[in-house]
Amino acid sequence: MLVIAALIIVPLITALLLLVFRSNRARVVLVIAAVALLVALAFVLTARYLFFSSGFAVAQSGFLSYVMLGIDLVCCLYILYRGIRATNYLAIFLAGLQGVLALVYEFGFSHNAAVSIDVYVDELSLIMTLIIAVTGGGICIYALGYMQSYQEHLEHEGSGLAVSGEPSRVAEALRLVRDRRHIFFALMFVFLAAMFALVFSNRLSWLLTAWEVTTVCSFALIGYARTEEATKNSFRAVVVNLSGGLAFTLALIMLAGGGTQLFELDKLIEAGVGGTLVLPLMLLAFAGMTKAAQMPFQGWLLGAMVAPTPVSALLHSSTMVKAGVFLLIKLAPSFGWNIPGLFVLIMGALSFLGCTALAISQSNAKRVLAYSTVANLGLIVCCAGVGTPEATWAAIFLLIFHAGAKALLFCCVGTAEHHLGSRNIERMDNIFVRMPWLASCMALGMMAMFIAPFGMLVSKWAALVSLIETGHMELLFVLAFGSALTFVIWAKWLGKVLAVGREDERISTRVSRLEMVSLAGMAFLLIALTLGIPYVSELFVMPYLWETGLVLQLPIWAQASEVLGYDNLMIMSIVFMVMLALLVVQILRRRPPSNDTVYLAGVGASSEERSYYNAFSELRDATQRNWYLEQFFGEGALLRPVTILLSAVMALFFILGIVAELMPL
Amino acid sequence: MTLLSFGVALLAFVVLGPVLGCFLTGADRIITARMQGRVGPPFLQPYYDVQKLLAKERRSLNSFQGYYLILALVMTVLSGAFFFAGGNILLVVFLISLSSLLFVIAAYSTRSPYAEIGAGREIIQVLAYEPMIILLGVFFYLATGSFDTSAVATLGLPLVALLPLIFVGLLFILTIKLRKSPFDLSFSHHAHQELVKGITTEMSGHNLAVVEITHWYESVLFLGYVGLFFVWAPPLTLVLAVVVGLAVYFLEIVIDNSFARVKWQYMLSWSWIVTLVCCALSMVLLFALYGFVV
Repeated sequence: MLVIAALIIVPLITALLLLVFRSNRARVVLVIAAVALLVALAFVLTARYLFFSSGFAVAQSGFLSYVMLGIDLVCCLYILYRGIRATNYLAIFLAGLQGVLALVYEFGFSHNAAVSIDVYVDELSLIMTLIIAVTGGGICIYALGYMQSYQEHLEHEGSGLAVSGEPSRVAEALRLVRDRRHIFFALMFVFLAAMFALVFSNRLSWLLTAWEVTTVCSFALIGYARTEEATKNSFRAVVVNLSGGLAFTLALIMLAGGGTQLFELDKLIEAGVGGTLVLPLMLLAFAGMTKAAQMPFQGWLLGAMVAPTPVSALLHSSTMVKAGVFLLIKLAPSFGWNIPGLFVLIMGALSFLGCTALAISQSNAKRVLAYSTVANLGLIVCCAGVGTPEATWAAIFLLIFHAGAKALLFCCVGTAEHHLGSRNIERMDNIFVRMPWLASCMALGMMAMFIAPFGMLVSKWAALVSLIETGHMELLFVLAFGSALTFVIWAKWLGKVLAVGREDERISTRVSRLEMVSLAGMAFLLIALTLGIPYVSELFVMPYLWETGLVLQLPIWAQASEVLGYDNLMIMSIVFMVMLALLVVQILRRRPPSNDTVYLAGVGASSEERSYYNAFSELRDATQRNWYLEQFFGEGALLRPVTILLSAVMALFFILGIVAELMPL
Repeated sequence: MTLLSFGVALLAFVVLGPVLGCFLTGADRIITARMQGRVGPPFLQPYYDVQKLLAKERRSLNSFQGYYLILALVMTVLSGAFFFAGGNILLVVFLISLSSLLFVIAAYSTRSPYAEIGAGREIIQVLAYEPMIILLGVFFYLATGSFDTSAVATLGLPLVALLPLIFVGLLFILTIKLRKSPFDLSFSHHAHQELVKGITTEMSGHNLAVVEITHWYESVLFLGYVGLFFVWAPPLTLVLAVVVGLAVYFLEIVIDNSFARVKWQYMLSWSWIVTLVCCALSMVLLFALYGFVV
């Protein structure tokens, strides 16, 4: 219990300290110390849970509920304030409504409710804790290096603007350039605290508060740059997430009122399994999908990349979107062949297919990553909707490996962007020569996203198997075509990143040590996770499934066996060892490169520039772009129809849900 | 699949795979020549070619290409071993796509524009055939109740009787996988329709030999897929499987010599249409004929 409290309080104190001590040195020390402490706490909690005790922790808490409500109201007021300043009526309306409903819920229903368990721990929250502490912490350390060069870039640009001499523009430049990094880091840590609170809260009102705090943190972080675009996109994000929060609150009120009287997550799941809840589950699923940026809400996550890269890394890997899928995975036992289950499953599957296809047409690295995040979360959502233990196994595996790979990829792209001056994939040509370690990390992250023997592929395989076994034939098509599309996204980018120009002319670009250390750490973690695939399953995922089954008295869950079998997981692990071993051999016996030039239908002039002399002895550059297949998969071709389709599906399901609620069979 | 059966299959495939693959290619070249009114090379010409390539001076634009290609070979061999040992059919599929990826990276690694064009086309080829291959695994499970290829042995009737349309779908994408016209977009054995040398433009000597040997293994593995549809009570039906495999290979040679290369749009859309139609109808067929209920 103490450890859980510490996990939430330590980042909050760190955030306060960061606001007080603003010097660079102090920040570095504080952040590293806090991250080390958080990781240590996460491991202590894990070890204690795995080896000594298991089950639920209980807290008595009249006072804490006031604190939580207070935090929730502060969040609403902050958005109200920002909404009024930016005259964004939708945000004002949503935040106001949210605040009122939160008050209604607390004092009308929840405050005097008998809640037996406020805070709990299980394997899933442990997995989330480790992900938040390790990847989230890693991203914070990475951000130390990144924000340094970010600020330098800003000041460089700002001085350019200031030179122009026009008073209004100078003022604007000064506003944008001002060093607000202390706020940035404080927000990152508040974000982590909210995530910890979210994965341990059993009392639904606390869960809601943590949920709202992540919304506000993401809002503030996306708008950090304070440019027009950043402000606009931050409001887009907050409007979507507030509607999710609103749905969440409505669901809580529905659960508290009526005959159900549910105030706790575990009771909710138990009731959900009974099949009596339809609309509340759909509203919660809606909230989860907005947070997980499922289509048609993917816009906010794509817009979020105006923020500094560590924010994207954080949003995409360990926080925010993961909160959405965390909720859905928790609710998975109550999904299945019922209206909420089918709703979640179809929305997730279509998001997966749609965003995978859309990612092919993108040449902006961050947009590719963003679409791929939505796609993979779609698969997680879809698996949660299937609601069998096997599908949940796949969902949790996807969650773990996606977090690891995406954090690494975003950080790599951020560093590459600073050094190449572009986030265009085409510009990453030859990055392997200029920054070999960065390119290797990036390649590792990419392979981890889609190919055997890495975790994502293993999870997809499990998803496939569980879909067959539950008879979702239509989704098998989605998965088969989706996998092929995924191959295209990554293979062509991977090719660019691993292209080697002249090996002897290595231009090392200096990357900040903090960035390199955190990148290496994340890469190492990913390798360890891949080698340990069977153990991840044995130690964390399977026990969670069993326990869920025992607690909820679901015989199939309590007897869940590994979908793919231990031997297949072992094979994957061994295949990866073979790859690593051969890589070591390759590095040890590297031959001196030849002086040959590539064939360019003329006399080669420079391999680096890919220039050659043609038949008229003129110097020509050979250029070659990757395939983006825009007429098939471009945003122009796909975005509208897919959005309309998904909105229609969602509307249809909500009509069904309301009908089912009004006329129970 | 036990460790022992895997070991035996691995050993057998490592040794016999390239021999059979080499024979197939040799026969292919003679038959193709006869179709074109030529005499053709000796039967063992592919072997001589590879031998010559291996004897050449090792020259490569970078030292990583060799690593990717060797790894691609290893993955193909592993997947073949899993396949013939009666292992998990999806595992085979995933290892093969890893092998394809490594081949693509090997081409990209040189930064040759011509190789990059070839690599891009190879990616499109994967996009075209991958859904069918994955769905084949899915239908295999629906028909046999297991993902292990060894399940056909106890099926009691040939898989093709249960999944005739899946077999048709396999034949369609087999043309891509065996690198035959009209779908030999990434690199072709027909010089007249090749853009320099496609994906293998910057591969020479030792590396090119590895590519060739990988292709031998892959051809045998994919004819194994064909054979899988005709094995139901070994060992006698194994002969039938081999005969059908050879017949299909002959059919592919005929197709190869009757069509010119098509545009990628055509290949992609037709592969997907055939995949969708064959798989959707197969599902209906499974339901209707065998009362298959999930």
